[in-house]
Amino acid sequence: MTSGLKARWNRWVSQRIPRSDSQRFHQRNIFILPSGAGVVFTVLLVIMLITGINYQNSLIYLLTFLLGAVFVAAMHQTHRNLAGFELTLVQPGEGFAGDEIPFVLRGSSPRDDAIAIAFTLPASSGVARRTIDTLTFMEGDTDDLTVLVPAPRRGLQGIDRLRVETGFPFGLLKAWSWMRPEGQGLVYPRPITPPLTMTDIGEGDESAQLRAAFGHDHAEIRPWRAGDMIQRVLWKRYARTGEMVIAKWEGDQGSPHWLDFSAFPGAEAELRLSYLTAQVLERDTAGQVFGLRLPGQVIEPDSGELHLRRCLRALALFGIHQPGTADASHLPSAQSARAAV
Amino acid sequence: MRRRELAGAAPAGPSAKGYPEKLSSRALLWLMLAFAILVTPQWDRLPWWLLALCIVLASWRWLAQLGRVRLPGRLIRLAIMAAAIAVYVATVKGRFSVDTASSFFVLAVGLKWLETRTARDFYVLFFILVYLATVNFLFQQDIGWALLNLTGVTFLFIGLQVLNAPRLKGATWASWRRLGVMLLKTLPIVVLLFVFFPRMPPLWSVPLVSNQARTGISDTMTPGSISDLAQSSERAFRVTFGGKIPSHRDRYWRGLVLDQLEGETWVQGLRQPFERAGMVNIDGGIGALEDDEYDVLLEATNQRWAFALDGSMAVSGNLVSMDGDLFRLRRPADTAVRYRLAFEDSPEGVASVQPVLSPSEHRQYLQLPIKGNPRTRALARQWASEMDKPLELANRFLQRLKTDAYFYTLRPPTMPEDGIDALLFDVRRGFCAHYAGAMTFFLRAAGIPARVVVGYQGGSTGAGDEYLIVRQYDAHAWVEVWLSGSGWVRVDPTAAISPERIESGLRDAVAEEGSFLEDDWASPQRYGDIELIQWASLRLDMLNYQWTRWVVGYQGQSQMNLMSRLPGNLTLRELGYVTAGLIATALLVAAQVTAARQHRGRPSDPVRRSVDRWQRLLRRHGVKPVTGETPEQLARRASGQYPQARKLLHAFAALVNKHYYGAGDMTPADRRALKQLIPATRHAIKSRPGGSR
Repeated sequence: MTSGLKARWNRWVSQRIPRSDSQRFHQRNIFILPSGAGVVFTVLLVIMLITGINYQNSLIYLLTFLLGAVFVAAMHQTHRNLAGFELTLVQPGEGFAGDEIPFVLRGSSPRDDAIAIAFTLPASSGVARRTIDTLTFMEGDTDDLTVLVPAPRRGLQGIDRLRVETGFPFGLLKAWSWMRPEGQGLVYPRPITPPLTMTDIGEGDESAQLRAAFGHDHAEIRPWRAGDMIQRVLWKRYARTGEMVIAKWEGDQGSPHWLDFSAFPGAEAELRLSYLTAQVLERDTAGQVFGLRLPGQVIEPDSGELHLRRCLRALALFGIHQPGTADASHLPSAQSARAAV
Repeated sequence: MRRRELAGAAPAGPSAKGYPEKLSSRALLWLMLAFAILVTPQWDRLPWWLLALCIVLASWRWLAQLGRVRLPGRLIRLAIMAAAIAVYVATVKGRFSVDTASSFFVLAVGLKWLETRTARDFYVLFFILVYLATVNFLFQQDIGWALLNLTGVTFLFIGLQVLNAPRLKGATWASWRRLGVMLLKTLPIVVLLFVFFPRMPPLWSVPLVSNQARTGISDTMTPGSISDLAQSSERAFRVTFGGKIPSHRDRYWRGLVLDQLEGETWVQGLRQPFERAGMVNIDGGIGALEDDEYDVLLEATNQRWAFALDGSMAVSGNLVSMDGDLFRLRRPADTAVRYRLAFEDSPEGVASVQPVLSPSEHRQYLQLPIKGNPRTRALARQWASEMDKPLELANRFLQRLKTDAYFYTLRPPTMPEDGIDALLFDVRRGFCAHYAGAMTFFLRAAGIPARVVVGYQGGSTGAGDEYLIVRQYDAHAWVEVWLSGSGWVRVDPTAAISPERIESGLRDAVAEEGSFLEDDWASPQRYGDIELIQWASLRLDMLNYQWTRWVVGYQGQSQMNLMSRLPGNLTLRELGYVTAGLIATALLVAAQVTAARQHRGRPSDPVRRSVDRWQRLLRRHGVKPVTGETPEQLARRASGQYPQARKLLHAFAALVNKHYYGAGDMTPADRRALKQLIPATRHAIKSRPGGSR
């Protein structure tokens, strides 16, 4: 019952506040209610009035009316504090799945002070509600705010709702609204270094193991971290020194120039994408030329920043339906370019 | 432009409730200042240990805020709390009144200081302190105290603003300005509410504000008791006369009759019938005073007795007439009370009813202790055998006081044994209570029924001679003697010794002695001969008197009285409607003002506004306008999704084009059409479901 009501309410709010990268708060989209303290305060006013009536005390009447009037005036003030405030999505974030990706928003208050505006991300689908910050925008002020949004899965990640709330001046009332940005951030697959094609991890010495893996002696080693295949740990060294290290993977799989979705037989599609992401990153770091083959999509071998972005983007959006015309503007670079104008 | 990089998940940010976690020092300081102010009106009734405890705990909290000391742990807090509450319970001894309740509030605030860590605690204190301010109004209604109380509440609201924007620099002045503007804007509605809010009768009976004894006459009299009162210049009551103010010597304000002597102490022998305390002492009389009426504004005494001149009758409903020509209030005067009396029409008419004393009354008014003061008794018996008319005997006694060297003094020596003998035969120095007691004793010993009356005598006029101020040092005791045929007749031995006391007051009576208010340095009355002080003090009293009569005293009947003078003759119920209407109007005006402010931010071009609305409508229904798109293009795209609205969409786009790019032939009819197309389009879009996303 309550969840049904909640869903209805959410639908209503979504209709009331259309998705937009720029939101100006005004009468139509600001909600205002007494806060918990405000409810107690009204109860107190009633008690005061009863005290005044029962003791026939005029001054208590006066105080009650005075505080009641202040409460009503506070309603006006609190509303006004938020009204006229503007919030714009400057740059949707990008990052890897499992990380928090930063969205940059710009707040400004052209005509009035907006004091102590609190930003929160409401709880949604398993992610706990989180408080971002409380900022004050004096008249004409502009200030940026970075919202870290947890991105559990690759693909497009937006901010469903950013709650903008203020209780100023007295905290007896709260005026709030939501920003529902349209722009979405790109979430790349979480890079996972692909395992070795485990053929012969013999009983030989460490260098033999490395040779077996990479065909040369110059493998770099790095500390083990979560997500690395356990088979790639240099166990000999672990036995000797107690350090869990793995050889940094630099060998090729298949063609030297191509990173191929089909190169990981048996692995699930998501895992393949993670492998490919790791490979793309490593190739790019090494400055190598590489191409990417995904089912239905081929990116010709190239190198450089733009190429990296194309590849990562292809990996992020692989198999994900992209909304028609608007998607071009969601390229982070394009967005920043627009914001910079 | 600054850029702020903030970890979203940082736990150091505001708490889940949205309140800042640690209290800002400035907010705490305002709260403490407000507490200090709001406790001030209570200072004379609070036990000293409670004040000390509050100061210590608040200082502790403040030092902790500065980081000098640590706040106590849970155990110590509990120990302090238990100890303080135990002491409190021991002090209160189960008496319950607003007085004890308010000291409990103070105690609660004091203890809460150690637990004030979060904004939530701040609000708890805020609520308690607001109610403490409310309760303060029950004790003190003077204009000065009222202003102080309101200042305390103001400080609370400044503190709240600081609390809610702790990072704002230089916010205090802005907070004052904001609050001031809010109060100014709402002042008219507050005043209207104050005047029109229906003053209902009390809903239920409430405990007395206080039942502690206060400065003032008491219901017993020892020889020294009234001279103690003479050291106080506190106000007892103020009187406005409808006619002329009676002369000083006729202003005997009767309060109590003491008819039984127990040892050295005169007490009330005839027990007053017990009467339950009424709800409140409202109904103090309304309308202009008649010529023979007078209006008394009694300060809180926590007692029932009301003071009245000889030959008065009750006019206001809060008075009850008692035996002995006395008046009692329906409820102890736990706050200031106004009541109204009138002089009885014709003294002759009253005298026509032959007054009689019942045998038991006769016995009571002759009661004396079995032994003591033998010389007085002997003299009384001797005189009684020499003359048989009680009046002559009384006059002879007065004559003796007048001609022999008897003195009226505020510094009588102590007369421990057979005090009356010592006074009459040896020491011959005493205050009114001494002489009144002695004379009553003497008359009774001579077989003449007599009684002591205590109350006030005299009083000085306030500013402009418009009303009379009676102070504690006007307290007086005199004698009434029973004369068969004329009833109780007042005789005042003090008048025989010191006519100045009766003619012009205590100041002149003890002028030579220099003992007037000798311990009361701060009292302006002490400096009555300095004109400026006198003038200022009288002006202030005038202000307070008017304040108390018209603002504090604006209650049930006075409201109805005012309303009956307004056209429409409003009743309580209609006043309720008026109030509701006022509140509704105020809210409406506030909403209008808000809307007007919003309007300023909106595009002034009505066509632009229509286009905005049109785009919003389409956006809501899944057709997102793209930047750079012409209205035509948007209409075309929308028509693809909602073919049924095609005509309307294109008509709208055509009109927009006509406005912006046309030859200036846009007619007002076109503009109206533009407006009307929007609801029509909405209707068309909704007419076939499934289009919405």
